Amino acid sequence: MNDLSQIEKELRKLRPARPSPILFERIEEAMIDCRAVASPAIKPERLRYNRLSLGFGLAAAAVLVLFAAVKMERQESGKEIAQTSREPEAAPLLNRAQKSTSTDKFVPAGATRLVYNTRDEGLQFASRSGQPLRRMRYQTHETWQWRNPTTGASLRVSYPSEEVVLIPVSGQ
Amino acid sequence: MQNLVSHEDWKSCFSEVAPGLLLFARQWVQSAADAEDVVQEAFVKFWRRNHKIENRALLYAAVRSIALDFIRRDSRRARREATAVRDTDEFSEPQFEFEDDTQRALAEAIDFLPCEQREVLVMKIWNELTFAEIAGALGISQNTAASRYRYALAALRNTLQPQ
Repeated sequence: MNDLSQIEKELRKLRPARPSPILFERIEEAMIDCRAVASPAIKPERLRYNRLSLGFGLAAAAVLVLFAAVKMERQESGKEIAQTSREPEAAPLLNRAQKSTSTDKFVPAGATRLVYNTRDEGLQFASRSGQPLRRMRYQTHETWQWRNPTTGASLRVSYPSEEVVLIPVSGQ
Repeated sequence: MQNLVSHEDWKSCFSEVAPGLLLFARQWVQSAADAEDVVQEAFVKFWRRNHKIENRALLYAAVRSIALDFIRRDSRRARREATAVRDTDEFSEPQFEFEDDTQRALAEAIDFLPCEQREVLVMKIWNELTFAEIAGALGISQNTAASRYRYALAALRNTLQPQ
């Protein structure tokens, strides 16, 4: 074995140890698992889409709850029922309640906004912006409550509501 | 060019490359079982990504990468095992099938090669990769791959035939 080609020849005679038969079985199982995951090609996309919708839905619901909370806080600070003028349906009812019970003012006592349906209406492009927007439609049920601290009388208004939110979509 | 994904009999492909891949993986992991884990992960990953079976350099790069990850992940256990093997001088699973004492001595000498020489040697001798492929798999130049190979051969020659 004086020269390098001789040692090379000797090395080539040396056979590496064979893999265990179990390895073949393990790889076969892994291949089957891969195929099972890979074969329904649309499924992962759909899954991702659903997750995305769910994510948007939850985020939007959180924003709505936050919005309701902030609005409630504003109403409390004003202590004037007239400040809830955003909901025109509530005003006549309130006035009636005020007249019928007491001259004291009603104060806001609570507000809930239940999102019972979220629908993803797809992407759209705003007229001036090139950025796509996802159009989400939320169907909610809102309940507002007022209470007269003097008489203990309360007033509750519930109504269905629908809101469309455009959420900017950032590309990846 | 044969695509591994469309190849129904992946077993025949794997039978060809497996011994060399295992030998390559054994460079970083202590036991044959760990080497098989590494090779399995690399081969399945390679298959899933639709790579061509001829692209062995990529397969080797995958084995190397996964083996290095394995070491990082399991370094504590690897150290403990290495210490145990050193302390007890236990029988370690052979990496080659010996026919005589010369071959046994040669196999032992391979274990003493520096890591960077051994990996080139394994890819060149037992998988017949070109220096260009080896260079691609290891991220080195062809000249470096060739010189590491020559150094490995020279080191083995010197070990087996001391001056």
